[in-house]
Amino acid sequence: MSNHKYAFFLGCIAPNRYPGIEASAIKTSEKVGIELLPLKGASCCPAPGAFGAIDLNIWYAMAARNVVLAEQMGVDITLICNGCYKSIYEVNEKLKHNDELRDGVNEVLKEIDMEFKGTIDVWHLAELYYDPKIVGLKKIADSVTRPLSGVKIAVHYGCHLMKPGKERHFGDTENPMWIEELVEALGAEPVQYRNKMLCCGAGGGVRGFDLVHSLDITNEKMINLQEVGADALTEVCPFCQLQYDRGQIEIEDKFGITWGLPVLHYNELLGLAQGMSPDELALDLHAVNVEPFLKKIL
Amino acid sequence: MAVKKDYKDQVLVEKLRDRKYYIPDSNPEFIKEVEKIGLTPAHMCYQCGTCTGSCPSAPRSSYRIRLFMRKAILGLEDEILTDPDLWLCTTCYSCTDRCPRDLAPTDVIMAMRNLAARRDIVPRNFLKTTQLIYNTGHGVPNNDANRAARLKLGLEADPETTHKYPEFLVGIRKLLDHYGLKEKADRILAEGE
Repeated sequence: MSNHKYAFFLGCIAPNRYPGIEASAIKTSEKVGIELLPLKGASCCPAPGAFGAIDLNIWYAMAARNVVLAEQMGVDITLICNGCYKSIYEVNEKLKHNDELRDGVNEVLKEIDMEFKGTIDVWHLAELYYDPKIVGLKKIADSVTRPLSGVKIAVHYGCHLMKPGKERHFGDTENPMWIEELVEALGAEPVQYRNKMLCCGAGGGVRGFDLVHSLDITNEKMINLQEVGADALTEVCPFCQLQYDRGQIEIEDKFGITWGLPVLHYNELLGLAQGMSPDELALDLHAVNVEPFLKKIL
Repeated sequence: MAVKKDYKDQVLVEKLRDRKYYIPDSNPEFIKEVEKIGLTPAHMCYQCGTCTGSCPSAPRSSYRIRLFMRKAILGLEDEILTDPDLWLCTTCYSCTDRCPRDLAPTDVIMAMRNLAARRDIVPRNFLKTTQLIYNTGHGVPNNDANRAARLKLGLEADPETTHKYPEFLVGIRKLLDHYGLKEKADRILAEGE
C-alpha cells in the first residue's frame, strides 16, 4: 500500500542516540502507506543554532548539500526532528526564493560538483501523518491495534517546526492542536498545560553553553506538566526528547528535583499503538524509566 | 523664528554640540552588516518589548533581546560582540513569531553571533560541534553502545549517513574548508589547552 515515497533524512540524535525513533518511523509509516528511502551520505542537518551561530553561509551550504542528495533521487524529503526541519526545510525555501543566496551557495557547491536546483519539498513526518491527502487521522486511527486508552499525554510541539509562523504553514503557533489530534487518534487523552509553546531549553547551543540555564527552562516545563497529571510527554523532535529525557536526570543532579515523567517521540507512541514491543523501540535507552507508562497501556 | 531647545549660554552650547548624541565607540555601519547577514530590517524596531516579554531566557538571566536590538541600532558593536549574554538565546523564535514589526530578532542575534565569531569570540561547545561534523559528518556521532542497540532493533550498526558512507566526508570537508571553519575551530580550541 506504499504509494508515497520520500527520502528519509535521519539527522543525528535519532539514529545515534534514540534509534527506536528511526526504527519506529520506518515501521509505522509503512503501515500507513509511506515508504522511506535511505538518503545515502546525508550529514548533520547541520544544527541551526550550534553550527549556524558561527557562520550562516556554511549552514546554508551544508544544508543545501543534504537537499541536493534528495534532488538527485527525485523525491521529497521527510524527517523526524524539528532542528533538522529548520535547517533542511528553511534553507530549501530560502534558496528557492532568494536568487542572491542561491547563487552564492551554488558557487560553493560547484567545488563538490553539486548544484541546488530547488526541485523538491521538505516535510516533517508528523505533518504527513496529519495531512489527509497523504495519511490523515483516519488512517492513523485505523492502523492502531493496541489503543493507548486510559493515559493522559501532553504534547510538546518544539520551536523550529512551527516558528516563525509566517515562514511556515501550520497556522496558529500560540495554541496549536493538530498533534493533540494525532495523539487522540491513538486512543489516548491529550492534556493541555500552562505555557505549552515554551521552548524545551536546549536550542541555540544553550544546552552546551550553559547547561543549568537550559535545564531551568526544562524544569519550568516539568512544573507545568506536573500540574495536569500527564502520564507521558510526547514530542516530534529527538533533541527536545534528549533535553526532557536526559535533562530530568541532570535536573535531579543539579537541582535535586525528581520528576520521573516518561518522554516519547510521537513515532514511538504510534509504534506502541500499532503493536510494536518496547524492545523493538529500544525504550530501555531512555534515561527516564518508561515502565510506569507502559504498565498503563500494555 | 522657531528656536531649538538649548542652553542660552553659547559657550556651553558649543561645548556640548557633538556630545549629546555622540557615542564614542559607536559604529553606524554595524546595523547594516547585521541586517545583511540576518536578512531582516532590524533598524525598524520600535522597542515595544514584545520580544523580551516572550523570551524564555529573559526571566533567568540578564539576557534582554530588546536591549540587544537597541544597541545594534546604536552601533554599539564592541559592547554587543563581547557580551556573553549573546549566547543565551535558545533560538525558539517566539520573539520573531510575535514581533509586531515583522522583524526577526532571533536572526539579529544569529547575525551578531556570526560577527562575534569573525573576531574569534565563540564559546567552546559551538566549535566542538564544528570539529565533530568535520570528522564524522554528525554533530552527535554514533558510539559503540548505540551500534549494539541498533543491531538489536534490526537496523544496521551505522545509519545510512556519512557514518555508513564515509566517502561523502570528502565533499563535506571541502565545504567547511572553503570557509576555513575547521582551521578556525582548531586554532581557537587550542588556545584554551
